[in-house]
Amino acid sequence: MFRPVPRASGYFRTDYAQDMALLQTRAERIGLAALVGVLVTLPFIATPFLLDLACQVFLASIGALSLMLLTGYAGQISLGHAGLIAAGAFTTGILTREINAPFWLTLPASALTGIVLGLVFGLPSLRLRGLYLAVSTLALHFIVIYLGGEYETKRGFSTGILIEKPSLGGFKLTDGRAWYFVLLIFAAATLLICINLLRSRSGRAWRAIHTRETVAEALGISISGYKLLAFVISSSMTSVAGCLFAYYRGFVSIEAFDLFLSIQYVAMIIIGGMGSLLGALLGATFVTIFPYAIEALLKLLPNVQKLAGDIFAVNYASFGVVMILFLVLEPLGLVGIWRRIQNYFLLWPFKYKPLASMRK
Amino acid sequence: MAELAIEGLSLRFGGLTVLDNVSFAVEPGELMALIGPNGAGKTSALNCISGIYRGSGSIRLRGGDIASLAPHEIARLGVARTFQHGELFAQMSVLENLLTGRHARIGTNPLAEMLFLPSVRRAEVAHRAAIERIIDLVELERFRHAPVGALPFGVQKIVGFARALALEPTVMLLDEPSAGLNREEREDLARFILRIKHELKMTIVWIEHDMQMIADLADRIHVLDYGRTIADGKPDVVLSDPNVLIAYLGTETIQSTTA
Repeated sequence: MFRPVPRASGYFRTDYAQDMALLQTRAERIGLAALVGVLVTLPFIATPFLLDLACQVFLASIGALSLMLLTGYAGQISLGHAGLIAAGAFTTGILTREINAPFWLTLPASALTGIVLGLVFGLPSLRLRGLYLAVSTLALHFIVIYLGGEYETKRGFSTGILIEKPSLGGFKLTDGRAWYFVLLIFAAATLLICINLLRSRSGRAWRAIHTRETVAEALGISISGYKLLAFVISSSMTSVAGCLFAYYRGFVSIEAFDLFLSIQYVAMIIIGGMGSLLGALLGATFVTIFPYAIEALLKLLPNVQKLAGDIFAVNYASFGVVMILFLVLEPLGLVGIWRRIQNYFLLWPFKYKPLASMRK
Repeated sequence: MAELAIEGLSLRFGGLTVLDNVSFAVEPGELMALIGPNGAGKTSALNCISGIYRGSGSIRLRGGDIASLAPHEIARLGVARTFQHGELFAQMSVLENLLTGRHARIGTNPLAEMLFLPSVRRAEVAHRAAIERIIDLVELERFRHAPVGALPFGVQKIVGFARALALEPTVMLLDEPSAGLNREEREDLARFILRIKHELKMTIVWIEHDMQMIADLADRIHVLDYGRTIADGKPDVVLSDPNVLIAYLGTETIQSTTA
C-alpha cells in the first residue's frame, strides 16, 4: 500500500520480506537520512517562534494521524477529537495537581483514559454511521468539557490548571529545544505505529470495513471488534497528544478545547487528503501554520492598526474559504497535489502514466 | 456426512416469501449448481448460508448448526463466498484484497502489529507466500500490485474468486462467477473451478446462468423457482426436466423445441 509501483529500475526483490520493507532503495534511505538531518538541525538554527510552531505541528500531527486512522482508513467519523485531547490534558492536569504524579505515570494514565473513552464512544458506531455517528461523538466532546469545567470550578482553578514542566530521568524539560525533540519522537512513533497497523491484519480489516461492511463480515472480519479497536487506538493516541499538550503549554483550561479544535482536526485530514498518512502530516502542518500565515499577510497591508481587531474574524473566514476550495477543487487534498508533482517528475519527459500503475 | 446440509430453509421479507422450505445437502468435494430464473432466491439462499440473512430452518456445516452464527464466525469455520457484483476493495491492490480475504487465517494481534514485531513479520511473510500460491493458481501474477479498481472487469471477477480462496475454505459459495465474462475468461474460470474441486477437494455451491458450463462441470443441479425447489439431480436429468424448462423458458417454447 505504501509502494504500489516499483520506483527504481533494475531493482528486483528476491523475497517477501524485502517486498514489505518500508525503505527499499538507496534513494529512499538517503531521502530519509536527509529528512532526519534537517529535522535534527532545525532547532539549532530556528528562532523560538519557529521552534514553537514546529512543536505545535508535531502535536497536531499526532492528533491528525490518529484521526486519519479512524476516519480516513476505518471510515468512522469523529467530531470528538478535541474532547479526547482535552481528556488527556485534564487527566494529566488533575493527576499532577492532586497526587503530584510524574510524567511516566500521567502519560499511561492519559492513554488509559483515551482507551476507556474510545471504547464507550465507539459503541454507537456499531449501530450508527455517517452523520448520526458524528453527532454521537459530539457528545463525547461536551461531556469531557463539562467534567473538566466542573473540576476547575470545584477545585478553584477557574482560570485553568497550571502544570509544572515534567522531568525525564532527572532532566527537566523546560527548554524549547528539548520539547522539540520529545514531540518529534512522539510524532514519529505515532506515524510508525500507524504505518505498521495499516500494513498488517488490522489495517486491512479497517479498510475493508470502510469500503463495504457486509462484504468484510462475510470474509471473516468481526465488524464490531474492529470498529471498537479503531476507536480505542485512535482515542488513546489522541489522549497522549493531550497529555503532551498539557505539559508543553504548562497550562490546562477548557477554553483551549472548543468545538473549533475538533473542526480543525477534521479539516486537517480533509485538506491533507483522506486515506493517506502523509496527508495527515501535510494537513496538520497546513492547518497549524495557516493562521500565522494569514496574520503575517495581513501585517503586510497598509493601515494594519485599524485591522488589528479583525484578525480573528479574517482568520476564521479564510479558513472556511480554504476548506471549501479544497473540497471543490482538490478532493484528494494536499497529498493529491504532491502526487501529481511527483508523477510529473517520475514520467518526465512523458506526459501520461499507464493505467495499471495508477498510484493511490 | 454431508459437508453442508440445509433443511427446511424459509426466508420472508414482510409478506414476500423469498425461500419456501428449501432443503439440499452437498457432499464433500461435490460441485452443486444452484440455478433458477431471476428472483428465484438463489442469492438469498447463499446469503442465508453465509449468515447475512437470517432464515428459519437448519443450516449444518459438517453436522454443526451454523444458522445462528454471525457471518464472520461462519467464514472462520471455512465457508467462503464470492459476490455477484465483485464487491472488491477497489482502492486496495490485488495482494491486499487477497490478504484481507485471508483475515480469518491470520492470528497476529494489534499490539504486536503496532510495533511490527518479528512474529508479525514472519506471519505476514508466511501468509504472503500462501497468497502467492493462490495468485499462481488463478494466474493473476502480473496484476498483484495493481489497485483492483483499475483492472478490467474480467480480471476483477477472478480477483473476487481468488479472495474467497484466500480463506482456505472447505465450502465455497460462488455467486454467478461467470456473469459478464467473455468466452475466453469463462474457459479460464471453468478451469479454475475444476482445479479447486479436484486439487483442493473443495465443496462448491455454484449459482450460474450459463447452462452449457453447468452441464459440463456440475455434479448435481438444484433448481429453484419462486423460492421453491422444483428439481434436483444429475445435470442431464434436470436440464431435460419439463418443470425446469417451463420455469426457464415458458410453456409455448417447449412445444416448439420438442416439435
